[in-house]
Amino acid sequence: MSKTIDVMKEKRKVSEQVRNNIKAFNKLKREILKSLEAGQKTIPEIAREIESDIDVITYNLMTLIKYGFVVAGEIDDDDEYYYYKLKNKK
Amino acid sequence: MTQPNEFDVLAIGGGIAGEEAALNLANIGYKVLLVEKDLSIGGKMIHLSKVFPTLDCGACITTPKVSETARHPNISIYTNTVIEDIEKHSENDFSATLVEKPRYVTDDCTGCQICEEKCPVVVDDQYQWDMVGRKAIYIPFSIANPRIAAIDIENCSLCGLCEKVCPADAIDFTQEEKRSTIKIKTVIIATGFNLFDPTLIPRYGFGKFQNVVTAMQMERQLVPTRPFNNVLRPKDGKMPDNIAYILCVGSRDETIGNPICSQVCCMYSTKQAQLLMGALPMADVTIYYIHIRAFGKGFCEFYQQGKGMGIEFIKGKVGLIKEKENGNLIVRYEDIQEGKVKEAEHDLVVLSVGILPNTDFSTMFKNTKIEQDDFDYVKQVDELSSPAKTNIDGVFVAGTSSGPMDIPDSILSAGAASAEAAGYLKGGKK
Repeated sequence: MSKTIDVMKEKRKVSEQVRNNIKAFNKLKREILKSLEAGQKTIPEIAREIESDIDVITYNLMTLIKYGFVVAGEIDDDDEYYYYKLKNKK
Repeated sequence: MTQPNEFDVLAIGGGIAGEEAALNLANIGYKVLLVEKDLSIGGKMIHLSKVFPTLDCGACITTPKVSETARHPNISIYTNTVIEDIEKHSENDFSATLVEKPRYVTDDCTGCQICEEKCPVVVDDQYQWDMVGRKAIYIPFSIANPRIAAIDIENCSLCGLCEKVCPADAIDFTQEEKRSTIKIKTVIIATGFNLFDPTLIPRYGFGKFQNVVTAMQMERQLVPTRPFNNVLRPKDGKMPDNIAYILCVGSRDETIGNPICSQVCCMYSTKQAQLLMGALPMADVTIYYIHIRAFGKGFCEFYQQGKGMGIEFIKGKVGLIKEKENGNLIVRYEDIQEGKVKEAEHDLVVLSVGILPNTDFSTMFKNTKIEQDDFDYVKQVDELSSPAKTNIDGVFVAGTSSGPMDIPDSILSAGAASAEAAGYLKGGKK
């Protein structure tokens, strides 16, 4: 059965920026989730480990929380940064 | 009896003022068409945490009103719709052209969000003021009304996954812009306000320093459906413990073209500061102000309550914000009481941005020009005895379309607009 998306595909093309954004998010998502596989971490710890800008990690980590991949844990001993962990991981 | 494309009232804007005016008129039997350009009704109020000075939950007040509006038998609602033009033919005889933009999702959507889960695209969530991502197909926010998804076609990857997984078969990429003409007897302008864009004052660093946020971004951090798990710095996710508010950003400032007071910033900042002291009990909060304008009922007491809780109020004009390597911010200000220039370090700065007119209404009227006041709001031609009256008989103004005001005043203004519109419909006062 034909889908209505085919009609839209005839009308418009996907921009290079949209493609690049998807690639960038998927790459970061993989890296963040892989980093958290080893155990809970704070945002600065994740940023250091995957050598990415800390603001980019904050934004994408919060998006991963929103979509149910990651959950927030306890705050660190200095009451500064929360630890984050994979949703299904103890 | 009115035809499907005929209404007694066109209410433009689905914020608190538009809803209130629509409900008042619908409750006395008039058929109302409410047109909202956004994907949901509720305006800005639906995004607020609590309201001043009572600290009542904003969503708890506005959500029942939103539901009542959406379910009222005498109110029809068009969301995602703009008004192309309005023409007055004679008294009680207007026509309007509406342009409904496609959502690419039909009313069959159950709001299950399975499509959202599958969508591979992540872009800034405008309803969280860009602090977190959203998908290209999305429910605008959890208490949106209607709770129907929409596709952001500009950012859609056209993968078709949403259509594949939708259990309600509600995805429809064949939708197109729909133009329709309606007949109405009276018009209420309730288009609300815009917030000042703080990038227009580069010395405050907004857009450059991520730990400089707007009060609306802080407001989102204080609601239960917040973008982060607590109040955090957007740059590095650190829990702030020394927060500064800067008042009059984009208000009372001739240099950016808005010389008037926005009337709400002193109180919403004091409110947020009090809420922050609850959310972050160890945090220090400082408010830099020129004058505190606590003019409404209970406002002065609310300000005193904030002071009593430990909020530090500094009479000071901020000239510059610089960022340190650790993301902290140096606020350089003139201490007005001591007459000295000082610097203070904070780890998060909130800009209390002012209110500007939303001038969308100004181009809608085709054969008669709607007059604007000196500040570009809708001109109230008889402010003292007929505050909702505009220069066009049969066109009334409600809420912040006529000037900055808080929520109770917007509701009062909407009451005036609906009463005057009812009078006009009855053939009385024009």
